Amino acid sequence: MSWALLSLASPLLAALLALMIRHGADRIVLGATLISLIAAVLALASINGEQPVSLNLGGWEQPLAIRLELGHLSALLMILTGTLHLLVGLYNRVSDHGTSSRSDYWPLSALMHAVLLALWLSRDLFNWFVTLELLSLAAVAMVTLSGPKAYAAALHYLMLSLMASLFYLLGIALLYGQEGVLDINQLAQQLTDTPITRLSLLLMTLGLMMKAALWPLYLWLPDAHANAPTAVSALLSSLVVKGPVFILWMILWHLAPAPFAEQLGLVLALFGGVALLAGAWSAMTTPYLKTLVAYSTVAQLGYVLIALGLSLRWQALELATALWLFIIAHALAKVSAFLAAGEMQGTYGRKELTVVKGATLTMPVAMFAFAIAGGSLIGLPPSGGFLAKWILLQPMFTSPAHWPWAFTILAGTLASAAYVFRVVSLSFDQPDITPGSLTQNLPAQWLSLLPALLVWGLALLSHPLLLWLSRGAVV
Amino acid sequence: MTDVQLFVGLGLLLWLLGLHAVMTHRHTIHRLIAINVSGSGVFLVMVSLASRGEGVDPVMQALVVTGLVVAVCATAFALRLGSARQQSHDEAESPS
Repeated sequence: MSWALLSLASPLLAALLALMIRHGADRIVLGATLISLIAAVLALASINGEQPVSLNLGGWEQPLAIRLELGHLSALLMILTGTLHLLVGLYNRVSDHGTSSRSDYWPLSALMHAVLLALWLSRDLFNWFVTLELLSLAAVAMVTLSGPKAYAAALHYLMLSLMASLFYLLGIALLYGQEGVLDINQLAQQLTDTPITRLSLLLMTLGLMMKAALWPLYLWLPDAHANAPTAVSALLSSLVVKGPVFILWMILWHLAPAPFAEQLGLVLALFGGVALLAGAWSAMTTPYLKTLVAYSTVAQLGYVLIALGLSLRWQALELATALWLFIIAHALAKVSAFLAAGEMQGTYGRKELTVVKGATLTMPVAMFAFAIAGGSLIGLPPSGGFLAKWILLQPMFTSPAHWPWAFTILAGTLASAAYVFRVVSLSFDQPDITPGSLTQNLPAQWLSLLPALLVWGLALLSHPLLLWLSRGAVV
Repeated sequence: MTDVQLFVGLGLLLWLLGLHAVMTHRHTIHRLIAINVSGSGVFLVMVSLASRGEGVDPVMQALVVTGLVVAVCATAFALRLGSARQQSHDEAESPS
């Protein structure tokens, strides 16, 4: 547990330091991110194969205490957060299109890192509310870093996010009014199936769906993600929308009474099916490169919704493993896709999709990164995306009644292939510009390739990963 | 009907009013006020639920205080963002 606390404290301190020492903020934050990542790995090693460890903050007794819990799932998500923050931070430093070393990016990204870690470790409804609010405020502030053109999108994002918080907060208020505790384990023990329970779970679900941009409450996402600076888009799409998904999974799996979970699970899974196709359709028709990547997030969250909904409906824990694998694979692939897309957009100087024309000749590394990240988004073997989809499909093959879900997922796969190939096929055209005329930044392009290689490497790591996730999903 | 029920009902009503206004209005200030009305509704629900049992539940009051701090910060941020957007609009419209 002490490693987890070090992992949490280091970016938090870095955020404060980076605010005071603007000169060299980038080095402080990158150093702290590295420390946090190493501590997160040690935290996973310290609980490997054992029961989760709890800590009551300040030594207070339950039910007054705020409890942190380190399990396998939390530790894995901490490592994911650290890895991605480190990669994106390095990209932002070396790229010519990143923000400067003195910009507000550094304290804000360190704050976001710390808040995400706190979210993965919390097991308390109200603590989650606070982390959600901090996460949204940091995310909105980071969207505004790209200047006045992003203000409208950021404001829209902030308003929706505030309204979503009020849904969630009202849900907490009603639930606490009935039960008198906030800790998720205690609630799970004593919660009974009453209309108030159902109403408050529904309110919390709606609020969290709005925050996570799950279909049909996703309308704020494409503008906010496409208008943010590249490094910020990558963090928003890969990590920030996953925070609310984590809370949603925790409260629904632990608290929802079985009959209610079955009904709600069906609705969520149906929404997921629509999201797969609607998100892909928008990605296929948008004229802008980064907007395409943003809509792909909407579509990919469809898989997450299906896995979440069906695991609730069938009370199937193995689908929860698929859910978290999706989240990890999508986070890595989406960082690659956004960094590659942003690097190409910055180098060519235009934001239309047509800039990638001939990119295989003019910017081969970035284009390769985009293509193999796309491969994992489609779910080509042996990428992490394939692994997740395979686990998701397995319980569906066994019974013919479940085949419609399998078809939905296959249709979603085809649709995601369509928008990935829309970009890839354009990149094989003859370029309008001569390859030598661009000023390229190769380290930045290689950095965008790295997470995509990691997601393809997940297959090699799949055995321990599945073991950790199946343990982590229980707690 | 007890006092608690009355105030919880009023809080829910405020929450719904705010929700309705935030969906129907387009102006930034209107929407921000609507969000704050809605937030006050939630806080009213919370403080009235605090006295549902014997005495007053201090945890609920602590939650409301924390919630208020969060709401004030978010409102200040939204106001600043809104005025920055207005400024950039004005500059774009009047070429200097």
